[in-house]
Amino acid sequence: MKSASRDVLVIGSGISGISSALELAKAGITVHLVEKEVAVGGHSASFCCKATDVCVRCSACVVPEKIREAVLHPEIRLHTSSTVRKLAGKGGDFRVEIVHQPGPVDPEKCIACGLCTEVCPVDPKAIHAPPVEATPFTYVLDQGLCLRFKGEKCVLCRESCPTTAVEFERKAKAVELSVGAIIVATGFDVVDARERGSLGYGRYPNVMTGLDLERLFAREGRLILPCNGQPPRSVAFIQCVGSRDRRHGYCSHVCCKYAMKFGGLLKYQNPDTQVTIFYIDLQTAGKGFARFYEEYKDSIRFVRGVPVEISEAASGELEVKFEDISLTRVSRDRFDLVVLSVGIAPRKDAWDLAKVLGINMADDGFFAAAESNGSNEASVKGIFLAGTCQGPRDIPDAVDHGMAAASEVLQLLDRVGARPAGSWGY
Amino acid sequence: MEVRAGVFLCNCGGALKNIDFDAVASEMAGIPGVASVHVSSDLCLAPARDRMISCIREENLNRVVVAACSPELTEYPLRRTVQSAGLNGHMLSMANIREQCSWAHEGDVTGKAVELVKMAISRARLLQPVEEVEVGVERSVLVVGGGFAAVNVGLLLAAAGLRITLVESTGTSGSDGQELGSIHGFDIGSLVTAAERDQNIEVLTSARVVTVEGAIGDFTVTISREGKNMARKYGAIVLATGSRIELALATDSDSSAEYQGIGGTNVVSQDQLVERLSRPASGVKPATLAFMVDFADESTRFSTLATLGNALAVRKVWDSEVYVFCRDVKVDSQGAERLYREARDRGVVFVKCPAAPRITSDNGRVMVEAKDVLLGEDITVACDLLVAEAVLYPDPATAALGSVLGVRLDEKGFYQENNVHLYPVASERKGVFFVGTCRGQSDVGRVMNDISSVVINIKDLLSSGKIMVESERVKVDSEKCVACLTCIRVCPHAAIELRGTEGGKEKAVVSDLGCHACGICVAICPAKAIEFQDYRDDQILAQIEAVG
Repeated sequence: MKSASRDVLVIGSGISGISSALELAKAGITVHLVEKEVAVGGHSASFCCKATDVCVRCSACVVPEKIREAVLHPEIRLHTSSTVRKLAGKGGDFRVEIVHQPGPVDPEKCIACGLCTEVCPVDPKAIHAPPVEATPFTYVLDQGLCLRFKGEKCVLCRESCPTTAVEFERKAKAVELSVGAIIVATGFDVVDARERGSLGYGRYPNVMTGLDLERLFAREGRLILPCNGQPPRSVAFIQCVGSRDRRHGYCSHVCCKYAMKFGGLLKYQNPDTQVTIFYIDLQTAGKGFARFYEEYKDSIRFVRGVPVEISEAASGELEVKFEDISLTRVSRDRFDLVVLSVGIAPRKDAWDLAKVLGINMADDGFFAAAESNGSNEASVKGIFLAGTCQGPRDIPDAVDHGMAAASEVLQLLDRVGARPAGSWGY
Repeated sequence: MEVRAGVFLCNCGGALKNIDFDAVASEMAGIPGVASVHVSSDLCLAPARDRMISCIREENLNRVVVAACSPELTEYPLRRTVQSAGLNGHMLSMANIREQCSWAHEGDVTGKAVELVKMAISRARLLQPVEEVEVGVERSVLVVGGGFAAVNVGLLLAAAGLRITLVESTGTSGSDGQELGSIHGFDIGSLVTAAERDQNIEVLTSARVVTVEGAIGDFTVTISREGKNMARKYGAIVLATGSRIELALATDSDSSAEYQGIGGTNVVSQDQLVERLSRPASGVKPATLAFMVDFADESTRFSTLATLGNALAVRKVWDSEVYVFCRDVKVDSQGAERLYREARDRGVVFVKCPAAPRITSDNGRVMVEAKDVLLGEDITVACDLLVAEAVLYPDPATAALGSVLGVRLDEKGFYQENNVHLYPVASERKGVFFVGTCRGQSDVGRVMNDISSVVINIKDLLSSGKIMVESERVKVDSEKCVACLTCIRVCPHAAIELRGTEGGKEKAVVSDLGCHACGICVAICPAKAIEFQDYRDDQILAQIEAVG
């Protein structure tokens, strides 16, 4: 296949997309990294460190390092606030149209001085600093809170900006690129815990998801009850919410590990906190994990069986009804806080991108590799898959997968070699 | 050379209201060595950077001092700006007057800002350039191992034009492909043939690696074969030595002592099962068959996948009654949950038990006795064939080769210590990579990704035949070095070695290519012979003295 362009398009700038982009850039290839959001980094950039007195290998700290390396790499062209609209051509010679829809704050101009937040008249402030991990560190205007977007004539933030970075209406701009190959690394959606209505997420303030917990810890550094700001005395983790069920016929790979690591962190911060983990099968495979399990198996209560219902007791505690399989009976237990270990789901907009690119999806809703021989090539030649858009992965596996997709792209562009050879029978 | 420092102050769009920038600027103007002072409001934006570049050129500056927000945000972009003005990127000294000054205090902090900038100027005077130089690298790779992963890596790198040596300790290549052989339907033979025919690949069987010296791009490796040693040069080293599979019947010694039939006719490994399945006509078809998995080892992704795949094959080929005894079903591999469901749909019975079953023998049948947590009862299954749990252990040569290479092992003795900063295929020594089950439990999908990852990593390093590297960023003063070996012992990256000097004495030398600039050797050197160019003692002392 003769390549008209050696440039590569990477769609999605989470940890897999960034890993792909970096490996290709190091090989001297110009990479167009397209990100739908204002900031790069995806989900994993917002994860918190789960270390106790020792590192528990949650890998959250390696993400900012990779992001910085990618953002500074001269061969990586960032297209934030952009989506892919059209694809023409074929492997080796794609023409891609991406649409850049700029937000109210221009990342090229914002210097994060905070003057706009000072003058913003609404409470909470409609324009404010982004999350600490945001790259680029561009201020965010919340259109739901902003008076301007409610029809009023407020221009205070625009007028206060020393670099004229704020502009309320901006036009979308289309950009056409010629690329030899495409890597799709669009990541995942966190399972919507409301799917399991009987677990009360969204109704009871003290029922939260694993992602809520990540962000709470990233902000506060400890666990407090959403309802009253007090530390909880007892916490339950419910595994496989949105994994291994009828709608999601797969294991999400990450939930047992993050639940156990959070459980360990809670016990470390306050040994009196009672931690219970409800599970189907504990996924303790992976480097160093068995030892972690050994360390906590006595201080954390592990219950085989997944709860079916949560209700709120008069005391404000949460009553969890579950089948205790080891005791072969239905039990009820009360907790201050319940964490739903939500899994990794395919992105809701995956189908839109699949249509634009013409690639196939698997029954579970993730993008599908064309063959089950270890290649990450999608059903369209020249388009490769990286990371959780193809199936659940933890951070190290996502990095590995991102690099592997880049490796296949390089082979395609160099027209040498082939994918690793081999096949297996299942 | 006369120091001409340009001081660039940034007031962050006028937001740092508790610093009087005019006062700071006039204080700095009189300091010896300061050629000019500039106040800007947006140093993080491109137009201000362009103005900085013109200032550096027009005023003939040879040091740049920036007082602005955290270096975490701006140091690397500013270094690039300094470089594009023709200066060395290390001639930049920064003071954080936003996060560590303006934002940290209430009220006027002009005094503190002045001191921070003075400190940065004092450091700037003592900065030295760190030159980037081009270093040639060997376009050749040593791959240790002869299994699936090793052969695949060899073939792909050979196709990229690199010269490959495959070193295999046994007599034939492909022999430890058993790591993947025990899944029904896999064949490694054709791969080995392809490697043997490849002009860029040299296959050395019955050989082993004796010593490794040098660093990434320039390893000198001694290989011993048939009693003779040969020295070769390689740019990178890939370890794909696989693992050793041992059968485990039970963890408690009681039952294994009672039942001695391991390896006998009715207790088999996954491999032996696959072999019997491949010629179903020849043997007697077992009516009842059981698998054991996840008792002897927690980390059983590979054995679980093999069990699920082979259980389905048994149902299909022999239509036997199939039981899987396990603690947990490890489904965190791609496709595993699907296989698990399919197996249950096809009638495979999964018995989850808290402890390993008791295995006994009764009239030629294997009796498997366990507590089934779902039933809450003890059950006994009489089987005609028991497939024992396959536990992966490191290859026996792992520890020795690890010590030759200076790479540490994890708690189970596999390669790659449990360090989150070591990406799947990386080691702590630059240019040394691990692929496949030699770095611990894996599964086929993950091994395939390892292979592709290591291939692109090595191509990026070696394809062009040269690497750009910062020269002598960490430097040993050979006059002061007493060759006590302390640095060599503590270096986590095996980047320091002793080399002969002109005076005939051996002194420590830090490899520019292998060094991660972690600074441990600098801190520990008893003779204070090692210096980190950007953090020399005199620079730090000068900063302390600058505080009034």
